[in-house]
Amino acid sequence: MGGVRLPSPRGAFRVWQRNATIFRKYWKTILLPNLFEPLLYLVALGLGLGAFIREGGINGLTYTQYIAPGLLASNAMFAASFESTFNTYIRLKIGRIYDAIISTPVNAEDVVAGEYLWAGTRATLYGTAFLGVLTVIGLFSEAPLISSPWALLIPPVLLVIGIMFSVMGTLFTSLISSLDFYAYYFTLVITPLFLFSGIFFPIEDFPSPVPEIAWFTPLYHAVNVCRALATGPSPAVLVDVAWILVFTAALSLLPIRFMRKRLIS
Amino acid sequence: MNTQTEKRVGAGAGETTLFARGLKKSYGSFEAVKGVDFEVHRGECFGFLGPNGAGKTTTMKMIYAAAVPTDGELKVAGLDVRSAEREVKRRIGVVPQENNLDEDLKVKENLLVYGRYFDLPRKLVRRRAEELLEFVQLSDKAGAKVDQLSGGMKRRLLVARALINDPDLIVLDEPTTGLDPQARHLVWDKLRQLAGEGKTLVLTTHYMDEAAQLCDRLCIMESGRIIAEDAPRALISECVSPEVLEFRAGPEALEKLAPIVESTADDVDRVGDTLLVYTSDAEAVTRRVRESGVEVRNTLHRQASLEDVFLRLTGRRLVD
Repeated sequence: MGGVRLPSPRGAFRVWQRNATIFRKYWKTILLPNLFEPLLYLVALGLGLGAFIREGGINGLTYTQYIAPGLLASNAMFAASFESTFNTYIRLKIGRIYDAIISTPVNAEDVVAGEYLWAGTRATLYGTAFLGVLTVIGLFSEAPLISSPWALLIPPVLLVIGIMFSVMGTLFTSLISSLDFYAYYFTLVITPLFLFSGIFFPIEDFPSPVPEIAWFTPLYHAVNVCRALATGPSPAVLVDVAWILVFTAALSLLPIRFMRKRLIS
Repeated sequence: MNTQTEKRVGAGAGETTLFARGLKKSYGSFEAVKGVDFEVHRGECFGFLGPNGAGKTTTMKMIYAAAVPTDGELKVAGLDVRSAEREVKRRIGVVPQENNLDEDLKVKENLLVYGRYFDLPRKLVRRRAEELLEFVQLSDKAGAKVDQLSGGMKRRLLVARALINDPDLIVLDEPTTGLDPQARHLVWDKLRQLAGEGKTLVLTTHYMDEAAQLCDRLCIMESGRIIAEDAPRALISECVSPEVLEFRAGPEALEKLAPIVESTADDVDRVGDTLLVYTSDAEAVTRRVRESGVEVRNTLHRQASLEDVFLRLTGRRLVD
């Protein structure tokens, strides 16, 4: 059957709701490690490495101020990526959860869309908790880590960032036949993005073509948006938002198509 | 039980719940289903009997839209499975061959969450979930984890889950495969109860006793084709003689035995170390064998069964 089927919002919501039902039972146990991870980076690099770049900081920000919003973006990336890789694969192949769902009025395309939304939700929940922690830490520091009221827009932005990385992760999941392949995805895609998207140092100052390459990668724009909202945005941030939306929309139908092929013979 | 069965065949002759004509499914160059026709009426229990790889599961998957037909017509309650995918799925309940209960959810939650997929009102789902757990005798396990259930309990929970939307058609793919005898009987009991309530059931099996016990009508499938179709007893009387004698002996003895019985028997089949003799006069056959003096290890005299129908039609046993 050719042609891409568009998901039904109702069906997608039911899949989202299934995941939310389960998450509600475990969230307390899952949330903590997800907070510690970015905090460790913040402390180790912000305070440790930051001690050596005190003079002037980066673009007028202290080093901790500089990396904090970027860690918000990467935290969303990790949350959505784990959800759309390991967790989705387990539901697909091991628990056979999707086989059960698609024998109801919920279709395969709804399942994928529901998973996008869920991964986005998870990224938002973790990110918002981390945002709260950053705000509180800022109160006890010499300079606030989150200094602009625009930061209130960070949670909805994290939802979009989460959906973007969920689309990427689901695309990879829809193509692989074993959990082992995720080693490739995380070492060759996620880790390089984490290191070279301007979280820890400004990528723009690198010689060409490094900044140009960075412009074509998703986390770079996510970091830009988060940093802009945390410190006070300029209109240039709209380009990054547009990039994220176009990239996500353009890619989103591909996993739907592939997953449908995997679920329906 | 048989009079009841026949009555229900007559009663179901009205509305068609499931209809297939020229239904085909290919995977690449492999034809899993090679053009089958069948019709299941409302209130009927219809079985697909056949060995593994006959195309039974593929046929079931096409009914609940997990497989897309390559060609032919397939309708559930008058709706085309391709163009009305969601509506068809809304009206059927599926018990799959492999357990796919949601292990992250407790027993009752499995029913509640499943009910949501059908957009059923919360209250209704809650009420049905309780009734269904009662029905499949799992009320005391409502709060248990799925992985704490035995194989039979999981299968019963799958049956309950398939009923949450009060379906017009229940599709069961090998509902008792892998269960121990007690668990099987309990599942059969529940399925018979459903059939008794006038539910429409379609099931696949490779157990003759299952088909004979549950189905009003059944078809025999082999390598993607339906090779016979009727009520179980009618199939037996159409295809084989009423009685069967099984002689077990060494290969040489069987060689000698075959020509001796052939004249009195309707049909003779040889499977491994067994000679199956179909006849309406078992006594005459037994007498001839005894008079011949050929040494027979073991003789079994029994009624003809669906197994014999299958053997007659295909030349091999149903389950190895």
